[in-house]
Amino acid sequence: MSDDDFLRVTDVSKWYGDEKVLDEVSFEMDRGDVTVLIGPSGSGKSTMLRCVNRLAEAQEGSILLDGEEVLSPDLDVDELRREVGMVFQGFNLFAHLTAVGNAALGPRRVLGLSESEARERAEAQLERVGLSDQFDSYPAELSGGQQQRVGIARALAMEPKLMLFDEPTSALDPELIGEVLEVMHGLVEEGMTMLVVTHEMSFAREVADEIVFLDDGHVIERGPPEQLFDHPEEERTGRFLERITSHD
Amino acid sequence: MSDPGTLALAAVASAATDLPTGDVLATLASVGESGDWWFIGQPADWEFVFGNADYLGIGALLTIGLTIASILLGFLVGFPAGAVEVYGDGLLERAVSTVGVVLRGTPIVVILIVMYFVVGVPQINLGIASISSAMTAGIMGLGLRSAAYQSQIFRAALSSVDDGQLEAGRSLGLSRFEAVRHVVVPQALRRSIPGFQNEFTIVLKDTSIVFAIGLAELLTRGYNLFSEQTTAVLEVILFISAIYFVLTFTTNRALDYLGDHYAIPEGESA
Repeated sequence: MSDDDFLRVTDVSKWYGDEKVLDEVSFEMDRGDVTVLIGPSGSGKSTMLRCVNRLAEAQEGSILLDGEEVLSPDLDVDELRREVGMVFQGFNLFAHLTAVGNAALGPRRVLGLSESEARERAEAQLERVGLSDQFDSYPAELSGGQQQRVGIARALAMEPKLMLFDEPTSALDPELIGEVLEVMHGLVEEGMTMLVVTHEMSFAREVADEIVFLDDGHVIERGPPEQLFDHPEEERTGRFLERITSHD
Repeated sequence: MSDPGTLALAAVASAATDLPTGDVLATLASVGESGDWWFIGQPADWEFVFGNADYLGIGALLTIGLTIASILLGFLVGFPAGAVEVYGDGLLERAVSTVGVVLRGTPIVVILIVMYFVVGVPQINLGIASISSAMTAGIMGLGLRSAAYQSQIFRAALSSVDDGQLEAGRSLGLSRFEAVRHVVVPQALRRSIPGFQNEFTIVLKDTSIVFAIGLAELLTRGYNLFSEQTTAVLEVILFISAIYFVLTFTTNRALDYLGDHYAIPEGESA
């Protein structure tokens, strides 16, 4: 890959105590790419994702985002997170704020927009995820799928250059998954750079430029979806895919 | 009756409580003559109680003043202390939690006596009125003890907010302090209202302990009264209990209202 990769993860390792949860993980992304991390639970894919916005701290290796070292101790993490949106498995919506309040908090408090500018921006993002009729609803008044779309709008309202999705549909009832994936599809079409942890294999196949298969903290195999799904080189990859698709 | 805790409040109180006593006495007297006894006690003793209503009223005002000042001081000190216990580390956290343990583990009489006789807090001059040193010691003692308890109410409330909330705030680029302030605190304050209702009621009733440093609040004044007319014990106690009840009831209702008003809406799909 070229020197001007948008995101370049090189030999990232992380331990929780004595347990090595990431073992020299490497992959790269260009601007506008969609990379999907797959693997069994406990394989380290969520941890890897969280290292990118420093919600988890990698102890070794390098993560270059737009040429800047994310793991540098001198880095202003708040500045980094301003530019990297994150969508959580459990939504983590601010329970005391309406949909608009959720999406406006970042623009208001982090970017320093005025109340009305922040609200305007929040409303625009909620419209983008198809929630123009739920501006003033509180999280507890929304379905899981709607909540997750607010979560996406909240991240988008910061106008991030990279979006991280940490199993965005895993906590959803099956009938609600579609509406979230649809929104994510839209973002892919708009050219958003996305790093996604998911078990939705058909989604991964459709949108990913590259699939990274992690197991036990190692990158076992990576490549374009057709290659990885249809002709996996590693036995572990094949076994994992077989397991996960037989559950569908 | 003399008033050891000289207060600027006194003037206000006597002006306010003088008015209704005459009417009440007339009513009581007429009921007494008809022999229709549906209430407890003796007319002469009730007459005595109502005749001294202004004296008790000043005590009630002192009780209210002490409670408000102590709760306020308790909040101003207790809320940050609770936050330090949850989010702080190192020396500060240890110091705060140790002071809290000591305050919660010391009888309130001891705290008050230490404040008044050992620390010797000064009289405070506010221009239009001055707060006696006993009153200052009372507020400090009750306030700091309340701070120690309130810190635990807020500590529990802050800890009860899911970590994901803080994390989501930080993922937007909020600093830790800002994320706590804008995301965790608004939720924690709502959750601390029930504990706060308890604490308010406890402080209100514990103000009676300032008799130990010579302040004559409501209960002490009641004691003084029935010491003078020993047949009126029941009447005096009923009367001041009614005042305490009105105070706790209205405040708890007000806090209930506050809690309902700021409650986070929940839909059917929740």
